[in-house]
Amino acid sequence: MKKVMRNAALLSLVCIMSLGAAGCGAKPDTTSTTSTTDTATSETKETPKTTETPKIPEKVTIKVFSNVPDRTAGQGKLEQLLLDNYVKENPNVEIVVEALQDEPYKQKFKTYAASNQLPDLLAVWGQPAFFNPVMESGYVEELKADDYKDYNFFNGSLDGFSLNGKIYGLPRNTDSMVLYYNKQIFEQNNVKVPETFEELITATKAFREKGIAPCAMNGKDRWPIAVLYHDLVIKNGGDQKLMYDALYGNKDFATEPVYLKAAQDIKLLMDNKFFQDSFISADYGAANNLFGQGKAAMYYMGSWEASMATNEAFPVEFRENMDVIPFPVIAGGKGKVTDIPAWNGGGYAVSSNSPVKEEAIKLLNYMMKPENWAKNAWELGVTVPAQKYAEYLTGKETIVQTKITQILDSSTSISATPWNDLKTPNFKTASEDLIQSLAAGVITPEEFVKGAQEAATE
Amino acid sequence: MHKLLQNKKVIGLLTLPGITLFTFAVFLPILLSICFGMTDYTGMGKPNYIGLENFRKLLLTDKTFYKSLFHSLILGVALVVLQHPICLGAAIVLDKIGGTAEKIFRAIFFVPCVISIVVTTKMWVCMYDPQFGLINRVLEAIGMQGLKQEWLGSAALVLPSLIFVIMWQGFGWGMLIYYAGVKGLPEEVYEASALDGANRFQTLMHITLPLLSPVITINVTLAFISAFKQMETIYLATNGGPGDKSQFLANYLYKKAFSAGDYGYGNAISVFFVIACLLVTFSLNKIFKKEKVEY
Repeated sequence: MKKVMRNAALLSLVCIMSLGAAGCGAKPDTTSTTSTTDTATSETKETPKTTETPKIPEKVTIKVFSNVPDRTAGQGKLEQLLLDNYVKENPNVEIVVEALQDEPYKQKFKTYAASNQLPDLLAVWGQPAFFNPVMESGYVEELKADDYKDYNFFNGSLDGFSLNGKIYGLPRNTDSMVLYYNKQIFEQNNVKVPETFEELITATKAFREKGIAPCAMNGKDRWPIAVLYHDLVIKNGGDQKLMYDALYGNKDFATEPVYLKAAQDIKLLMDNKFFQDSFISADYGAANNLFGQGKAAMYYMGSWEASMATNEAFPVEFRENMDVIPFPVIAGGKGKVTDIPAWNGGGYAVSSNSPVKEEAIKLLNYMMKPENWAKNAWELGVTVPAQKYAEYLTGKETIVQTKITQILDSSTSISATPWNDLKTPNFKTASEDLIQSLAAGVITPEEFVKGAQEAATE
Repeated sequence: MHKLLQNKKVIGLLTLPGITLFTFAVFLPILLSICFGMTDYTGMGKPNYIGLENFRKLLLTDKTFYKSLFHSLILGVALVVLQHPICLGAAIVLDKIGGTAEKIFRAIFFVPCVISIVVTTKMWVCMYDPQFGLINRVLEAIGMQGLKQEWLGSAALVLPSLIFVIMWQGFGWGMLIYYAGVKGLPEEVYEASALDGANRFQTLMHITLPLLSPVITINVTLAFISAFKQMETIYLATNGGPGDKSQFLANYLYKKAFSAGDYGYGNAISVFFVIACLLVTFSLNKIFKKEKVEY
């Protein structure tokens, strides 16, 4: 009997050991959705050339870290196009791209930074919550302002990428949150395209009756809902400084009525089921696809998604019917439809620890030349550049592009960086958690403003 | 030989590799965590010493931490009370079936454990989708629309939904361990008890379970430890949402350390994580400390 017990114990022990061994086995990198080639160490090899040239150019490998995994459409395609062109013009350069979706990108970025292994050319966001710690810790290389005299960057677009008067990155987009919508779905269901918040609620109710998701939203990423809240504060209060004051100045989230009203507006949208049923666990790709496949009537997202209208992965029906409006005004609100949430978010920077710094800066300067980035971004319908692009208007713009240009050109005030990205990463997480809880109905608007005030003053 | 093994120097030398490994892989990182927990390190820049501020904030003001701890405990209990009886039952039944059927079912039950957690979790997230997911569509098809839910969106249902997914994923492991234990049980005891007229229930309660008690102890301990370590499924499904209704300890730690950039705070959480796991293991050992069943 003792023997039996011993055998049972031994067997269990073997099982546990195999469990432990399996558990210790290295798991493959599963955080990337569609990541392209992985990182390679940069080497410099001597390449023998023809006898005419006096200098032998060394082979250089530049590692690019991108947040647009889809290299066949939109910004990814534009990036890849410019990188490929650079390689054609500079045959001694090899470019290796690693790309992850937004949220996994940010996490891996932090890991790279902590272990001092940042790739050479990086996608960054010129927002305090992301970029300030990066600049302050010296992870990115200072860029020479003189280089960009003729690059036609919009006034103020470089602000988020600068620290103490020095430039550390270049902006690639002028971002603005807009309400994309599918004309066909509105027409087929006899719903009026909303011009006011009240009409938006009516439209929501009408769509819900027909079983159609009114608006696609990636609630898992949380930040778009935070920007929606910021938008509602602007549309209610009319003053773009309101959010800034609540975070840095003399206004209190919990006592000023405008912040509570905006939170109540969010609750009203949620009570009418404005977002699709699965929005809490939908990530960026899921929400994007929902709208692109014609399963949601609207999509509250940034102007960089204008490229959906030219993305051949989406059905022709959708592409021809994609249109856009600014988020509507609210009755009794002081904000005009031209007071918009807009900022310069996406951009590029060069790692200060890079072994091929000079080459990487050359590549960056090449990419961001107006005739490269701005021209192609506009002509391919990819995004609104952060550089003046009036000279590149072809007259063949998509409706979306034209309208977004109108929205930006006619804006009477812009928000700059949205509130969730204005302070520390800790505040970003806390504020985004709060907005998600509000959207999910877990906390009341009163609890939300109280929590926001606590987080802002921590 | 005997003298050699008793020589203290020899003992020390032979155990040195193990002790070194333990020190560098377990002991020193925990010490480092305690040190970092006393700073405000954000993952970038320099860490500044702030004393016990993180620990105080964590223990006295952080409601999410206690919620995560509570959810982890619930998961552990759910695993033991819900998953393990099914695992045990499946193991016993498998043992009785015999033949090729036994081998086939063994493989089938073990498949979810072999598939990557990312794949199974994303699969379940798709199935739980309120509009296009399999579960709601099947309910609609069989006419039970009233039962359709926002499985991962509603505050009340998100925790049970996730617990179910975790139980499904770990089922194979639990069953495997019980199966090994059941296979090691002696036939003679069962024959003897059958001769004495014991029915199936009595056999189960008075012979199988007591004989399996070391296996049960191990499995329950593993269940609680894995419940505490549960991170991937939560991160991939809801990341603790909505709000913190499905937040678990390991995922909260990850979120605080890497998303919020509060690395010092994350380390403070990890220190309590270790303490919590140790407490659970000690309690379980106390509970299961019976005399060895011998016959």
